[in-house]
Amino acid sequence: MHELHHPAPPSYWGMTAQELTQDVLQRHESAGRQFWTVAAVLGGLFGLGVIGFILLLSEGFDDRNVWGYYATTFAYIFIVAQSAVLISVALRMAKAHWRRPLARISELFAVVGLFNFFLLVPLLWVLPVTDGRRSIWFNWPGHSPHIWDTIGLGLLVVCGLALLFFASVPDMAAVRDHASGRRQNIYRFMAMQWTGMPHQWRKLNAGVSLLGAFYFMLLVVVHMLISVDFAMSLVPGWKDAIFPAFHAISGFHSAVAIIIVTMAILRWKTGFKKYLEVDQFWSLSKLLLALSLLWFYFWWSGFFTYWYGRQPAEISILKFLMFETYNIPFYLAFVLSFITPFVILMWNIVRKTIWGPTLAAGIVLVGTFFNAMRFYVPAYSIEDSSLHALDVVPPFNAPGVADILVIIGGLAGAVLTYMLASRIFPIISMWEMKEGLILQRMRRFMKIQIKVLAKPE
Amino acid sequence: MQERVRLTDAQINRDLLRSIFETPKWYFLLVGFLGIIVLLGFAAAGYMINRGLGVTGLNRPVFWGFFITNFVFWIGISHAGVMLSAILRLVQAEWRRPATRAAEVLTVFSLMTAMTMPLIHAGRPWRVMYWVFPYDFARGVYPNVRSALVWDPAAVFTYLTSSILFVYIALVPDIAVLRDRTTGWRHVLYSVLSLGWRGSVRQWKLQLIAGILLSAIILPIFVSVHSIVSWDFGSAMSVEGWHSTVFAPYFVIGAVHSGVSAVVTVMIILRWMFKWENYIRMEHIDALAKLLIVVATGWFFFFALEFIFGLYSLEGPEIALREMQVFQMPWKALFITFLLTSYVIPVSMWLVPKVRRNIPLMIFTTILVNIGMWIERFIIIVPGLARKQNFTFTWGGYTPSLVEITIVTATFALVTMLVLLFAKVFPLIPLGDAKEGMILHDEIKIGKVMVPAVMREE
Repeated sequence: MHELHHPAPPSYWGMTAQELTQDVLQRHESAGRQFWTVAAVLGGLFGLGVIGFILLLSEGFDDRNVWGYYATTFAYIFIVAQSAVLISVALRMAKAHWRRPLARISELFAVVGLFNFFLLVPLLWVLPVTDGRRSIWFNWPGHSPHIWDTIGLGLLVVCGLALLFFASVPDMAAVRDHASGRRQNIYRFMAMQWTGMPHQWRKLNAGVSLLGAFYFMLLVVVHMLISVDFAMSLVPGWKDAIFPAFHAISGFHSAVAIIIVTMAILRWKTGFKKYLEVDQFWSLSKLLLALSLLWFYFWWSGFFTYWYGRQPAEISILKFLMFETYNIPFYLAFVLSFITPFVILMWNIVRKTIWGPTLAAGIVLVGTFFNAMRFYVPAYSIEDSSLHALDVVPPFNAPGVADILVIIGGLAGAVLTYMLASRIFPIISMWEMKEGLILQRMRRFMKIQIKVLAKPE
Repeated sequence: MQERVRLTDAQINRDLLRSIFETPKWYFLLVGFLGIIVLLGFAAAGYMINRGLGVTGLNRPVFWGFFITNFVFWIGISHAGVMLSAILRLVQAEWRRPATRAAEVLTVFSLMTAMTMPLIHAGRPWRVMYWVFPYDFARGVYPNVRSALVWDPAAVFTYLTSSILFVYIALVPDIAVLRDRTTGWRHVLYSVLSLGWRGSVRQWKLQLIAGILLSAIILPIFVSVHSIVSWDFGSAMSVEGWHSTVFAPYFVIGAVHSGVSAVVTVMIILRWMFKWENYIRMEHIDALAKLLIVVATGWFFFFALEFIFGLYSLEGPEIALREMQVFQMPWKALFITFLLTSYVIPVSMWLVPKVRRNIPLMIFTTILVNIGMWIERFIIIVPGLARKQNFTFTWGGYTPSLVEITIVTATFALVTMLVLLFAKVFPLIPLGDAKEGMILHDEIKIGKVMVPAVMREE
């Protein structure tokens, strides 16, 4: 239980700032053959995805049913990757020192947002106008979702990239100072004349906080736009006020999961093991557990109100999305997003390992896919979205070859984008780590060594 | 910036037990004044029971008015306790220390007060026994256990029991301090209540484990309470605007918003009354205000969802209801006041760092929030009922009577009085926590400055 632990300080605490910079930069610059092999395989898979996409294109935009799995892939990447940026933002707001090693890992997901923005484009042709059907745009022009969702997602991508760039400026300067030739020129440009002056640090801190807060709010709004315009409003009779919030919670949930999985891969395959220790996995696993419970709570609030209401329109929605037509993806989502992570992570002894949180996080990522699938595939299988209630329930839309290719290709493209971006931005935020070295100490207290965390302000 | 002063254990004991051992004259005057208002409330309730519900403004179709609004309001305030105490304890937020006890105590008293509301609202409180026993003994007709109205008392009672336990567990070491400093019957009382506390390592360990376990167990209860209160409304199909899937989290986060605001109000008053400037410092108020910005914005998001999806399907009756809430007097005035007081004014003020460290402005904004949140419950409950029927000639209105206003006012006096009476018997800032905070506080030298720091046990 709550006993006095006598933790050994993280191994990198003995390093000087200079040693840390050198170590991270050295690993950053040498990618290794394995990296490029994986990148090549992902590139190949992405190529397959392009073939799948062409196959979908050949069927045209008129039959929405064709695009259900494509929309799921887009939504899944949005839910997981674009929410992942938030983890660093939220932990920085909460002034959690343990976030430092994973700050960049989280912010780097902003580049996946850019990739996903391109995936949005074809969906704009698939999405029907809002005239004559229910939407959050009420009597605005029929193309409002097309315009505003593009602007919203675009702003989110720009904001995420700005946050990534802004929060890496000191590290870009570090790379600049250790590089030569053309590489130095590129990083000189990206370092924006950073010399580490006090006023530059003040601007950096203010900028990172502001962009973070803006990203947070924008993300919640875009979750609402995507979830309603690309799913809920296409299904007649589906009026669910909590759905956008549930969609966002599902995003935060899988965001924690993807960061845990990324950390585990980095530990396993790169030399960053000493920076990503049990402390990070343990702390994130508590968040993952809390978000699994919240996932259930938000799902339950929506389900309960419908189930208790017993109106024909509500029951048909429950049957369609949960208990009959799309029951398999729903049960899978429920077990993988809530029950399994809950059962694994309720044990502190498991949370305090590397494998426990990683296993739970991997399962959550699969669960999130099925969760997205049970919303987006059925939403695109409905022919007439202007009806008042779901009178005719369309059959289950099983994925075809093109769909599977698109899913694999989309996910491979997202991972590849992330991997390539990690070649540009050091995946461990050096300046935050160095700040941590200054602000965290081990100190003797009576008979034990204890961690002391500075809380400036 | 922190304004921490190093205090010795003796000094902490002296300061924090001041409310118990030194009673200023105004204390009795204030408690007496509040007592009179409470008595007036009792008299009004007695009159109402004698004359029947006809003396209230309740009438077809609006059968839920001030009492139920007040019930939801006080249940909301009670959410401060767990939010601050349990969650902040689990996340090891240092600035929670002076706020936990006040928050927990506010939880207990506001829950008790909230529970009087449905009793009074029942008109004939003895009929409440039908919640447990059959309506009709001969035929065994029981209350409908599938109704949220029946789960409600169960959830609230569970929450009350666990909150009392929560307060008590945290109080035990402080009661032992009191035991050692009192004589006569008070010594006997504190001796019994302190459960033989000696402050041994084993006892502290048990106390710590109990606190953490209770924090974790109480969290689901805390969420369930306001969720079920929301389903009192959400599961009703016949009232426009109530059957919304977002109601449960919307109510919970609204409760946290109003509850934490109320805790800040109480803390500021305590700081001023008992001169606890060294304990309830500006950095604590500042941190709470920052938390409130996040909570308030989260709440506003849920409010927006509730409103947007009310209109989403563009159904006539729903639009008519929203139109009434927003554009027709007196609802229009209430709606604008609600928006301004619960979100726009306070949050825009809290964004300014100087406001977060200004006592009069903080007390002003936190009181504003609770005015707004009371109105919020009122405009959720009453307009929907007023338009409940299909035919316009069966529509109704609602004007609270003097009896209802008196009883509702008395509940505010009751909670304040109970908190003051509690402060006379037990310390409102946990001594052990304050001392622990002193021990765990440290400083790290960075360059030329000393930066405040905290020791972490794990």
